[in-house]
Amino acid sequence: MINLRVMLPEGEQKFREYIHDLRTNPSSQRPDLNNKPFSEEFSPVVSIDEAKCFNSKMELAEYLQNCFDQAGLSREEVLPRNGLWTWLAYVWFDQLAPITNPDTNERDIKEDAKYICSSDYRDYYRHLVSGPYSIYSLHGAPNSHIFLYSPVNEHNDFIEQFASRQFIISHKNIVEAIYRLYFDSKKRQPKEGAQARARPGNIRRFVRVIQQFELTYDIYTMSSDSILDLLPPEFDGWKK
Amino acid sequence: MKRTLNYTGRKKIERKNVTISFIRQNGKVTAFAVDKLDLNNLNLRSDAKVYVEAYYRTELKRFDCNTAGNIRIPPSCNVRDMAYPENLKFRILVVDPSDGKLLAHADGISPEEPAEKKSILPVEFSDLENEIWRVEYKGDGGSPILIINSRIPSIQNIAKHDAQFLVYVYPQVIREVLTHIVFVDGVDSTTEPSIDWHGDWLNFIKQFGVQVPETLGKDDEVSKENALNWINDSVTAFCNFYSNKFEEYIRKTEEEHHD
Repeated sequence: MINLRVMLPEGEQKFREYIHDLRTNPSSQRPDLNNKPFSEEFSPVVSIDEAKCFNSKMELAEYLQNCFDQAGLSREEVLPRNGLWTWLAYVWFDQLAPITNPDTNERDIKEDAKYICSSDYRDYYRHLVSGPYSIYSLHGAPNSHIFLYSPVNEHNDFIEQFASRQFIISHKNIVEAIYRLYFDSKKRQPKEGAQARARPGNIRRFVRVIQQFELTYDIYTMSSDSILDLLPPEFDGWKK
Repeated sequence: MKRTLNYTGRKKIERKNVTISFIRQNGKVTAFAVDKLDLNNLNLRSDAKVYVEAYYRTELKRFDCNTAGNIRIPPSCNVRDMAYPENLKFRILVVDPSDGKLLAHADGISPEEPAEKKSILPVEFSDLENEIWRVEYKGDGGSPILIINSRIPSIQNIAKHDAQFLVYVYPQVIREVLTHIVFVDGVDSTTEPSIDWHGDWLNFIKQFGVQVPETLGKDDEVSKENALNWINDSVTAFCNFYSNKFEEYIRKTEEEHHD
């Protein structure tokens, strides 16, 4: 176990350099950033299991929610702390950017914003640790499953299409409708074809329709049942 | 994508009829006040429900303001339980109680802030390799941030006080941002642009005595030329306003030359 820390600007810079180095030199050594001036301990003390492996984003988010709950911390106290999320990505980097070729130590490394928590409105939701926590702490189980079913190192289309849109991700009833439409709770994964652009009522069509509803109805007061009832017939196949 | 379809006759609540301000305790935003919410000119049914929503990213909180005929702002619009309270935006909704349809709407409202607290061009310092500065459109709603190369020694001091830096960099930054507004984003209205930060920049330019044209288009040669002229006039007016910096730069250059 290790006490939660907050990455400072110098630590973020070192972490960013390490990520960049790995792209050309997979054997680069991870720098020790668990000390000043690279990071500082978070207050109050929160214990984090740096060796814990997560099978899905959902597991990771549940674990963090539990850690913060035990420390008496609310989501509004931790969410804006970008350095905290960057440090968590640093601690769990081996599973967020796993080795794909053991012979060469080559890793599955994605863009910086997946590891360095950004204030940029275009990609804040893409961070591989803060993104799942932000969704789970707001929508809980089971509705978060539609976004958090995938492995911790994979960004998925449900996050990209829905979580990037403030109006959608902030409305619990819309998220519940998305879960009911597109998630197969028996298989614990999205229904097949939900992301296929050619399928009627696919997730991109849902976004377009909700954007029209947003300017027509007071969505906030509607139940997920009412939202589903309003959808045009192209979505009927997904309601089964 | 900007959406302007209006099949239901939803009315637009003009920005001039809404004023919201933050309430701070020890410098931190804890609540907001609706200082003005005037719906009188919209001819709305008096029993229509009125709501104010505060939002940012995943955060959303609704405040019930009673009806259009009898607006009652809650005494405490507390946002302590919201993450990013400093970044909150607001929307106003007027809802038909019979069918839940929107009768009137305003979105993307920023709170009024004392001028010294609101920066239209935040500055960040980072390693730009061999580039001195760059504007990146990564603020809220794609607003500009000036990135200055942190590799330059004492750059934070230079960026604030050095006359040479100011006269070389800031006019070009303004030209870049205005060009982006007109030719990349596009301006749908010069009086009430739908992109919030465009409005802040247009107001900024007006301070220098440059009137913003009725339209700022890019669809034909005349519009383009008018827009480019406005951009040039704006940069010139900015430079004239800070002519003391130019004089200081000339004076220092002459002194160095004589040395």
